[in-house]
Amino acid sequence: MNDFKWTWRGASLLSITATLLLLIGFVYAAKDIIYPRGAAHFTETPQSTAAPAAGTDVLKVAAVGDSLAKGTGDNTGEGFVRRTVAGLSTDGMKAELIGNLGINGLTTTGLEDKLKEEGVQYVLRQANIILVSIGGNDLFDGAQSMLNEASEGTVPEGGASDSAGTPGMSTRAAGGRDELKNLDPKRLIADLPSVSNRLESILGSISRINPSAKIYYIGLYNPFGDLREMLIPGNQAVTAWNDAAMDIINRNMDMTLVPTLDLFNGHLDKYLSSDHFHPNGDGYQRMADRVVQAVR
Amino acid sequence: MISLLPLIRNECMKIIKKKRFYVILLILLVLVPMFTYAQMRSAERNREKFSSDWRLELQQQITDNENSLSSSRIPEEWKTYRRIFVQQMQYYLDHDVNPNEPSGVTFTREFLDNSISLFIPLLIMAVASDIVSGERTTGTIKMLLTRPVRRWKVLLSKLIALLMFVSLIILSAFLVSYLISGLAFGYSGFNVPVFTGFQLSGDTVDMSAVHSVPQWEYLLMQCGLIWFVSVVVALLAFMVSVLFRSTAASIVVMMAALIAGTILTNMASAWTSAKYLFMVNLGLTNYLAGTPAPIAGMTLPFSLAVLGVWAAVSVIISFAVFTKRDILN
Repeated sequence: MNDFKWTWRGASLLSITATLLLLIGFVYAAKDIIYPRGAAHFTETPQSTAAPAAGTDVLKVAAVGDSLAKGTGDNTGEGFVRRTVAGLSTDGMKAELIGNLGINGLTTTGLEDKLKEEGVQYVLRQANIILVSIGGNDLFDGAQSMLNEASEGTVPEGGASDSAGTPGMSTRAAGGRDELKNLDPKRLIADLPSVSNRLESILGSISRINPSAKIYYIGLYNPFGDLREMLIPGNQAVTAWNDAAMDIINRNMDMTLVPTLDLFNGHLDKYLSSDHFHPNGDGYQRMADRVVQAVR
Repeated sequence: MISLLPLIRNECMKIIKKKRFYVILLILLVLVPMFTYAQMRSAERNREKFSSDWRLELQQQITDNENSLSSSRIPEEWKTYRRIFVQQMQYYLDHDVNPNEPSGVTFTREFLDNSISLFIPLLIMAVASDIVSGERTTGTIKMLLTRPVRRWKVLLSKLIALLMFVSLIILSAFLVSYLISGLAFGYSGFNVPVFTGFQLSGDTVDMSAVHSVPQWEYLLMQCGLIWFVSVVVALLAFMVSVLFRSTAASIVVMMAALIAGTILTNMASAWTSAKYLFMVNLGLTNYLAGTPAPIAGMTLPFSLAVLGVWAAVSVIISFAVFTKRDILN
């Protein structure tokens, strides 16, 4: 019984102290949540998150841009970015993926805003190879979102034909096709000057963010080449865009344009995924092979 | 007139002698190492992937969440949740603060965050469900009531003993989690800043009231909220224990209510009047962290009021029933 006396004293003392402490915590929490004192702010701005990798025997790859950078349409989810990293890691070279910041549906305007974010800049600063894929959504704006919506519902069935690699013309979503008729090639080209200005500012800010990195811009292909009425105007628009991009890139030492138009033209049935806009796994592999050749 | 103190002492002795509290400690000692190990593995995997740079990891998380927002197949509530998450993570990144700085303290914070609505209430129940019905199962209640003590005093002493153990349970959950996870992640980290004060309106986050508190203050607030929730759960379990003759029945009733709560919080956003149920309101730490409440229109004062009313009613019922009822058996 004497033994218990001490247990009781200890337990009760401990419990009373704990209760008081918890009560204080509770009142403090309630006060803090209901009347938050927003003034006590962190004013210190993020110190330049420095240290861009100096010892560069390892290739550090970062990717920014749209759904192509993200790898949409690739059943394995790898996209050309991961495939490029894999391709670069062979033959005793070491490559690692620092970050893939590709976002579905991103336009040049969206990417301009992204590049102002500290977190994005940080990722780019750590890289020595930056892959950029942007512009497709500006160019094929309406058409792509229509196609996406039309294919969203059909993806489960489409997945099978996608892995077979031969989605025939007949499987194209009817809704998507109607929309394409509204896609006026003249309008595509009309927007070109303003969009290419934005591309120039994007590439410029990337090389300002990380002056020591090599920048690889992925050229556009014509995803609508399998529609007779879209083949020629589409090719013209894409070529005009690629020319404009080439023009910017030629003026910069550390930038390279990786063309993809020829990879897909005439082989769309083999290399596009079931949404008829994004490449499939094989298509991404071809793009990645190109990038690897350009890097080495 | 016998004073309360010896009665409370007696009740505490019973709880300790029945070894309920040791069972709770044992559960903690078994489960916390498991959680710690799981956390360690996932931290290891991320380190391989992101070369131990949390900024890269966080930016990738933000991008992944932004990507899932563009899919039209994701339910709207999830999108709201993710939009809020993205904005908060962006805030951490912009201020160069690692939201998941690996340390024993951070682990404890996350562990407590996840255990407020089910795990800790469960531990509380282990003591509370038995406290009156246990006496009836064994028949000792007759002995207790034949002593020259008023019935309400007997019940009050049980209640106070229970509340004492509620505090002890929270204290030991904190200590066990900190001491064990500290072995793996280190014992420092009390002064790491944590942001709180995110105010949600729809799917945008108002950052104007956001402020940073050192992690120990955050933990103190968190434990305070957990304490409130635990007291409410204890009072409810106490009432159930008075009402039901068998301990097993009273445990099942409380368990069913708690589990229903976790299910409801996952799917009840369309049924808005569910917010008046106590079990939906248990996640008080969400208000601290700035995670959206399960049902629109829930705020901290609202949840506190709902829980308070449930607790008050259950105390009234417990005393009314216990003092009036014939003890047959």
